[in-house]
Amino acid sequence: MTFSGVGLGLRRPHIEQVAALAAAPVPFWEIAPENVVGTGGARHRMLTGVLERDDVITHGLSMSIGGFDAWLPEVLDRLVAFLKATGTPWHSEHLCWSSFGGAHTHELLPMPFTREAVRHTVTRVKALQARLPVPFLLENISYYAELGAAEMSEREFVLEVLEGADCGWLLDINNVYVNSVNHGFDPKAWLAGMPLHRVAQLHIAGHTWLEAEGVLLDTHGAPVVDPVANLLAWVLARLGRPVPVLLERDHEIPELAVLLAEREALQRVYDRALAGVAHA
Amino acid sequence: MPEAGTPHLARLQGLVTDLVLAPEADGFREDAAAFSAERGLGPDDQAALVLRRDRWLLYRDLVRTALEDPLLDAFPVTHALLVRQEAWTWAVDAFLASRTVSSPYYRDVAPAFVAWLADSRWGQDRWPFLLQLAHFEVLELDVVRHPDEPPPPGLLREPASDRVAVLDPAARNVAYGFAVQAATVEAPEPPSACAWLLCHRDRDGTFRVLELTPHVSALLARSQEGQALGPAAAELGVDPLAAFELLRDFRDRGALLGFRPA
Repeated sequence: MTFSGVGLGLRRPHIEQVAALAAAPVPFWEIAPENVVGTGGARHRMLTGVLERDDVITHGLSMSIGGFDAWLPEVLDRLVAFLKATGTPWHSEHLCWSSFGGAHTHELLPMPFTREAVRHTVTRVKALQARLPVPFLLENISYYAELGAAEMSEREFVLEVLEGADCGWLLDINNVYVNSVNHGFDPKAWLAGMPLHRVAQLHIAGHTWLEAEGVLLDTHGAPVVDPVANLLAWVLARLGRPVPVLLERDHEIPELAVLLAEREALQRVYDRALAGVAHA
Repeated sequence: MPEAGTPHLARLQGLVTDLVLAPEADGFREDAAAFSAERGLGPDDQAALVLRRDRWLLYRDLVRTALEDPLLDAFPVTHALLVRQEAWTWAVDAFLASRTVSSPYYRDVAPAFVAWLADSRWGQDRWPFLLQLAHFEVLELDVVRHPDEPPPPGLLREPASDRVAVLDPAARNVAYGFAVQAATVEAPEPPSACAWLLCHRDRDGTFRVLELTPHVSALLARSQEGQALGPAAAELGVDPLAAFELLRDFRDRGALLGFRPA
């Protein structure tokens, strides 16, 4: 199975509607295992039917890859079983930490940009990868503040972790854009020299400007803006291959038809960008 | 101050955890450098945290919103009660400070709140029904999302004196000292009256509550413990034929899977 095109995150409000369709309206869905494993009921059965019918890529939310808390064996076992059941081509997690001392925050908190943090994260990624039945990707996150004194830039930190862990990259275009606005850099310059050969998937999403705080927040709660769609096209042209793109929407979730229309618009961006490569 | 030898990375993550979950965030707001120094961080880290103080306070808001949202979804009546008493924020603050949320599953945040109420007994001097009210509210999630299991082999359709009733694994036979099922957002204080409830999901997966008599509740409880329906009914003074009719109704509603020999 080759994954390409623009997929959609399958969210709770749409499950019943999607399950009633005869076939998938998207090339693939993305699903968070944490929201599915260990549950049941009518909606769960509908979701399971969709996952059996359609192509699926999994994306984790809460493994706290840069943290210290041990992964519970039953959590790992459930995850492994789910990845096998869905036939996902890979599994991804965020380059962040979310829990400490057994307390889970359910937020994507930034790592300090230090050599110690690189070593720690690389060790954790390798340990997790060794347990998973599919390749593992790390996703670059939006961050609003450096955690302590930095020894390197965020770009160098992401690069060193990816290279050190020798894992794939889920390149989140919106996160690069959000960080570029909040921290004042050129997103294309940020991407130049990064290991694009490691990119197996792209994320794209909307964000929200907080006027009072003067910060762009990665909310996944609005449509994708043109600068982010343009950056997507720029990245696809440099990749020169049909890497699957996932449109994320987690807040202010509109009707399925609205999201499908946005997906189709992004699919046109995707097709044009890759057609340009083919004719170059 | 962290123990000697605590990795620098752990000190930083410990600081952020304190900042986002503990009540003493005011200390960070007033003097981020001192807050950082108290947690074993040096001048360079202190300066970086001071520089981004407002952004870290934004992270505090993000975390607290992320952990409060599932409580608002799961506990509309408990929320209505505590908001009226201007105590909801206190409850959330105390809950977050307890660091009870440990599961990587977001759906476990609401059950963790009930576990915290049970352990801490927070607010129960003032609202003696609080734990039971919250327990009943979270029961809906527990029942609706309970993992599906194949029915055990050898189930029988009809009740009989020498059989036990087999509950659907998602169903819960519960008793409360307050009529929590009668509480609403508009009237969130439950009447002071005992309630025996059989909570289950119907064929469509919708949460349903059946109000039981104490004897029928006890009959189901004894049946779950393996006592045959006939002797259990006799000991409880329940008319077995009437009880069987009721059990058939529970079966048809999906609360019971059926019956099996005792």
